[in-house]
Amino acid sequence: MNWRTINVDLFDPESPANFDISSLLPSIPSVSASEVQTLSSQIKQLLRGGDSEGALRGALENAPYGGDAQAKDVHLATVVETLQSIKQSDMSPMLSRMYGSEGGPETLDVLMKYLYKGMAHTSQPSSGRSSMTPQATGGFSQIQSRGGGEGGGQAMSVLLSWHEKLVEIAGAGSIVRVMTDRRTV
Amino acid sequence: MISPDVHHLFHHPIADHSFSADRQTLAVARDNNVELYSRSGNKFSLQDELKGHDKTVTSVDIAPSTGRIVTCSQDRNAYVWEPSPSGWKPTLVLLRINRAATFVRWSPSEKKFAVGSGARVIAVCYFEEENDWWVSKHLKKPIRSTITTVAWHPNSVLLAAGSTDAHARVFSSFIKGVDARPESSVWGERLPFNTVCGEFLNNSAGWVHGCAFSPSGNALAFTAHDSSITVVYPSGPDEPPTAVVSLSTQLLPFLSLIWNGESEIIAAGYDCEIYRLRGNEQGWQIVGSMESKGRPGLEEMREESALNMFRQMDLKGKSKDDTQLKTVHQNTIATIRTYDEAGGTVRKFSSSGVDGRVVIWST
Repeated sequence: MNWRTINVDLFDPESPANFDISSLLPSIPSVSASEVQTLSSQIKQLLRGGDSEGALRGALENAPYGGDAQAKDVHLATVVETLQSIKQSDMSPMLSRMYGSEGGPETLDVLMKYLYKGMAHTSQPSSGRSSMTPQATGGFSQIQSRGGGEGGGQAMSVLLSWHEKLVEIAGAGSIVRVMTDRRTV
Repeated sequence: MISPDVHHLFHHPIADHSFSADRQTLAVARDNNVELYSRSGNKFSLQDELKGHDKTVTSVDIAPSTGRIVTCSQDRNAYVWEPSPSGWKPTLVLLRINRAATFVRWSPSEKKFAVGSGARVIAVCYFEEENDWWVSKHLKKPIRSTITTVAWHPNSVLLAAGSTDAHARVFSSFIKGVDARPESSVWGERLPFNTVCGEFLNNSAGWVHGCAFSPSGNALAFTAHDSSITVVYPSGPDEPPTAVVSLSTQLLPFLSLIWNGESEIIAAGYDCEIYRLRGNEQGWQIVGSMESKGRPGLEEMREESALNMFRQMDLKGKSKDDTQLKTVHQNTIATIRTYDEAGGTVRKFSSSGVDGRVVIWST
C-alpha cells in the first residue's frame, strides 16, 4: 500500500474533514419557493409601475440565500428581467444613488453576485438548462427563451454593461466579495 | 510629506520583516533563510544569514529589548536565535504541530511568543528554566482552520488571532509562573489559559489576513479577504460588544494593518498601496492613500521628448513604458510594522512585500 495516498485526515477525529463547516457561519433563514414566487410577482408589479430602481433594490435586498436551487433560479430570473428593463443611460446614476444610500455597498455586492450567476447561466448550452429547472416558472421562462443563440448573447451584453458600470462604482472589492462570500445567490 | 525611504533588497518576495530596537538591523524572511541586513549610512547591506529551516520561512520577529530573534517556517519548526561569540545560535522550540507554522510574534513582555499554524492551534511558547528549553502550550478551541495572523494585547496575556475559518478571536494566553495576573479589562476579568474573550465574524465570512489591538488594547481591528476592515469595541466580559464597525472597501483586500493612536488605522495589501483610515465607534472611513502623487519618478516620465516618444513607439510599439506601477511597492504588500512611535502615535512605519522592497514611511 502506498502510504502517500492515505488520507490521514480521516483518521484524525479533530480533522476539519470530520467537521461541519456550516456551524461556523452565520445562520441563514430558509426561504420557501412560494415566498420567492410572491416576491417575484411584487417586483414585476413595481416594474410595470415604472419604478425600476425600487424593483431592483427590492430584488437585491431580499435575495433568497436560504432557498433551494430552484428558488434561487427563480429569483435570478427576476433580477435579470429587472436589469434588462433598465436603460443603459440610467445604469450609472442609479448605481451611484444606491451606493450612497444606507446599506448601499452591500446591495451592490448582491448585484455583483447576480451578474456573475447570470453570466454563468446564459453561457450554458440550452440543453443543460432544462434539467436544472424541471418546472418552468413564469419569470424563468423569459430567460429561457433568451437562452442559447442570439437571445443569450443579448442577455450577456446587458449583464456585461451592468458589470462595467458596477465595477466603476463599487470597485474591485465587490468582485472579491463575490468570491469570498458564503451566502451564495 | 517626506518621501518614503525605499530599500530594494532583492528580486524575491519578503514574507516578513522586522527591525531591531535601534533600527540598525533588519531581518527579512527570504525563502528558507532569514537574512540580516545592517544599516550603513542610507543603505542596508547583507550582514548575516540565519540558516536552519528547510522550508519557506513564514515569519520573523526581533524582540526589542533582549534582541532575540524568533523565526518560524513551513517545516513546522520555530527557532529562537541568540547572539553568541561564534554567531547566532539557534534553539529549537517544541511546537508539537503537524502542519506549517504560519506566523510568529513576541509578546510585549518578551517572555513568550505565539506561533500560529496550519494545525488549527496557536502554540504559546515560553522558556522553561529547569529543562533549558522553549516549550509550548496549545490554544486549540474553538479554532477550526489555519491561523493566518496573531497580535498581542499590551498586557501580554490577551492574544488576538485571525483564521481562515473567517473568525478573529481573542484568547487568554495566561501562563502561570510566567505572567503576572493581568488587570481586568473590557475583554474579561478572570483569564485562565484558553479563555475565549471574543469571537468575531464579518458579514461575508472572508478569511482573516491581519489583526491588531489598538494602543490601549480596548479595540480590535481585523482585515479579511472580502476587502473589509472590521473594528470591534468590546463593552465588558460576557456582554455583546458596544460596537462592531465593518467597512467594505472598493479596493482589493488588505493583508496587514497597524493602529496609529485610537482613531487611525494604516493598512496595506494586494493594492500595493498604503491607505489611511480614520474613525471611531460610530464608523470608519478611508481617508486616502499614503502615496504622494508628485514623486520625482513620475515627473520624469511625463517630460519626454518627441524624438524619444517616436523611438519608443518604433522599438516597443508604444510610447510609454507602462511596466511600472505608479506606487512605491511594485507588488503586494505583505507586512506593515511600526518603525518609530511614541505613546501610541506612529511617526514612521515600515512595509515589505512580494517585490523585495522594504520601505520606511513617515506618517
